[in-house]
Formats: sequence, C-alpha cells, structure tokens
Amino acid sequence: MAFDGAAPATPVSTGTEDGANGKIAVTTDLLSTWLGFADVQRRTLDVVQTELTRTSRHVEDATVDLSDRFRLLAAKALEQSERVEQIVALAGSVSIDGERVPMDQLVVGMQDMITDMVTNIVTLSRHAMSMVYLLDDVQKDVAELEKSIGDIDTINRQTNFLALNAAIEAQRAGDAGRTFAVVAQEVRNLSRSTAALADRMRGKVTAVVKGVRNGHDILRQIANTDMSPQMLAKERVDKTMDSLVEQTAHFQSVLETAADVSSDMSSTIAHVITGMQFQDLTKQRIEAINDSLAIMSAGLNELETRIRAQVPAGVGTSEPQEWLNQLLDRFTLSEMRERFVRKLLLEGTALDENGVLDVDAGAGDSSGGDIELF
Amino acid sequence: MDYGIEQRDLEAVVRLRGRLTFNDHARLRGLIGEMVQNRAPRQVLDLSSLEFVDSAGIGMLLIAREEMTNNGKELVLRAATGQVKRVLTVAQIGKIVTIED
Repeated sequence: MAFDGAAPATPVSTGTEDGANGKIAVTTDLLSTWLGFADVQRRTLDVVQTELTRTSRHVEDATVDLSDRFRLLAAKALEQSERVEQIVALAGSVSIDGERVPMDQLVVGMQDMITDMVTNIVTLSRHAMSMVYLLDDVQKDVAELEKSIGDIDTINRQTNFLALNAAIEAQRAGDAGRTFAVVAQEVRNLSRSTAALADRMRGKVTAVVKGVRNGHDILRQIANTDMSPQMLAKERVDKTMDSLVEQTAHFQSVLETAADVSSDMSSTIAHVITGMQFQDLTKQRIEAINDSLAIMSAGLNELETRIRAQVPAGVGTSEPQEWLNQLLDRFTLSEMRERFVRKLLLEGTALDENGVLDVDAGAGDSSGGDIELF
Repeated sequence: MDYGIEQRDLEAVVRLRGRLTFNDHARLRGLIGEMVQNRAPRQVLDLSSLEFVDSAGIGMLLIAREEMTNNGKELVLRAATGQVKRVLTVAQIGKIVTIED
C-alpha cells in the first residue's frame, strides 16, 4: 500500500517514512475511515450473501411450484385434447339402432327416400287421373245402357200391342185363325218374359250405375287432394339437409382446430417445464458467487483484525455515512432494506444476543416477503 | 284454366293460362283430343302464363305425354315459372317429358 498524498497531519507511527522497516505514515483519519468502511463492507457482504441465498431459495421454491402447476396444466390440456378428439370422432355421424351412420350418408339416404315419395305421388296422381277418365267413360256407357233398357221396354210394349191386335184378328177369323191365335198368345208370353228380363236388367244396371258413381266420387276426391305442397316440401328438406351437412362440417373443422390447439398447448407447456431448468443453473451460479463473496469476506475480516491489532487504542472507527446512504438507496424493497439496517445497526449489540437478527425476524409484520413493486 | 292454340310449321303451341287443377280434367281431356288430331308432330305446352298446378295437373300432363307418344307425337313443356317450375323440378318430370326454358 502506497500513499503519495500530502504529509500526514497526525502521524500514527513513530516518525517519518522508513522504507527499510516497511512502515509508512498514515493519518488517523484515513485509518478510521478505512476501518469504518471495512466494517460496513463486511456486514454488507454478509447481507448480500444472505440475500443471494434467500433469492436462490425463493426462485427454487417458485420454480418448483410453477413446474407443478404447469404439469397440471399440461395434463389438463392433454385431457381436453382427448375429449375434443372424441367429440370430433362423433360429430360427423349419428347413432341409429346402435349403428354409427355418417351424416352425409344419412342425408343422402333421407333425400333418396323423399325423392321416392315424390315419384310415388306423381305415379299415383297419373294413375288416379287415368282411372277418373276411365270411369268418366264407364259412366257414359252405363247411361247408354240405361237408355237401351228403356228402348227394350218401348219395343216390348209395341210387341205386346201387336200380339194383342193379332189375337183379336185371329178371334175374328174364327177356326181359320185358331192356330194364329196360339202364335199370338206365345208372342205375348215372350213379350212378358222380355219385360221381366228388362226389369231384372234395369235393377242390376241401376246397382252398377250406383256403384260406379260412388266409386267415381271417391276417386274424384282422391285425385282432387292436392299433393303438390308435399312434393314441394322436398325443397325445404333438401335445404335443411344441406345446411345440416354444412354445419356439421363446420363444427368438425372448428373442433379439429380446438384439438390441435390443445395439443399444441400441451407440448408448449412441456417446453416451458423444460425451460424451468434455468433455475438449477442460476442456483449453481449464485452458490459460486456466494462462495467468492465468503472468501472476500473472510479475507477482509482477517485484514481488518490484523490492522486493528496494530492500531493504537485511541483510534476509533469512522462511519462512512455517504456510502451507507448510497447503499441504502439501492435497497428499494422495504423488507430487504429492513434486514440490511438491522444487520448494520444491531449486530454485536444486546438485541443481537436475543436473536433479533434471525433471518426472518421482523419480516412477518405485514407483507410476509411479497415483492413490493414501485 | 283456359288455353289458346297457335299453329306453326312443325309445332303447335298451346298456351295454358291460370291454374291447372283437378277441376280442369274434362277440359284438358278435350285439349288432349285436339292435340292428337293436330297434324304437327311436336306439341308444345307453353306454361309461361300458368300460375299453379296441383298433383292431379301433373298426372294429367303425364297422360297427355302418353297420348302424344301413342300417336307418334312429341310433347314439350316450355317456359314454366314459379310454383309450376318448382313442382316440375321436384317431381323430376324432366326425366319423362322434354322440358324447355
């Protein structure tokens, strides 16, 4: 150590420089300052070591906690991804009689069914109209038949009248007309039979006419039932089915994206957990720094002790107020500042004996170690 | 429903107007008869003025087509619009009868 400043005002040693003894003159003031500084420095180094250890432990605890939470998160993301995949697998199909039927297949099946229904309506309408036309004709024919029976009656009445006239003429002719009278009687009998037959025919034809008219009426009612709204319902059904297919496809694609996102989340979280291993390295570095600081602190302590041993009893320790202020300015966290102040002011006092300087003493008053922002 | 017939070289164009329903079945049968008698090989039903057709009407159009085929003529349904066009489409009548716009 070499001082090349002005001559000492208050020499501590015996006299002037004596290079041979390895002694130099140092002012009391400078020594006091150095001792004060060494004291503060040693305590500060202690505080810094303690703080570093605390910080390292704090980071370790927080990292372990974060890793656990992230692991939980990753597990949940994986679970969610599996659930979404299950939904994706089911979304495109429906269960019918215990069998999974793809939605598009189902829709095509339904549309085919409705197309068949419409085709059947068209075929039925066509057949119904053919029947209507057929029965229109049958009705005309039956009316003709009724008229024909009427004609038979007319002819029969004329025949009967002629036979009666013939019988009268035969009577007038006497014996000569006897044979003719028999023929005339036979003709009258024949006419009666024809009349009876015409009656029976009329009865039957009347029954047929009634049946045909009833059938015609029923058929007209059937044919007159308009099925075109049911046919047009196909348009609506087709649109609904198309919309259903489109919506299902949309859901499926959204769900697939969601499954991918969940899976991505899970792998990102796994990376985050791997990234948390920085804490190990940090811990090792802090330990190395602390070891260096301990060596520096021990060296300083030893030097201080040696120097104090050579200093006369009258020389005190000058407190480096300005440095202390600068140091205190750095400790913006109140809890940390408190620990620093305690260490500086109380170490070696009666309070220290009573354990006031224990690391966690005084820290539990309010915030309990939470980080104070700003 | 009522109608008017316009005779051209190779086709007879029958313009149907109003609503074609079951109640028109007798009139349509008469029209089919006229079309069979008509010498044109191509019988066109112009549906541009037809507002409505019911399922019986569709049945009658198919009967008309059958009658034309039986008599060696072709039936064409032309220019259907609105409900008539929709019903013809849904019923896939185009598979059986020639449809023109």
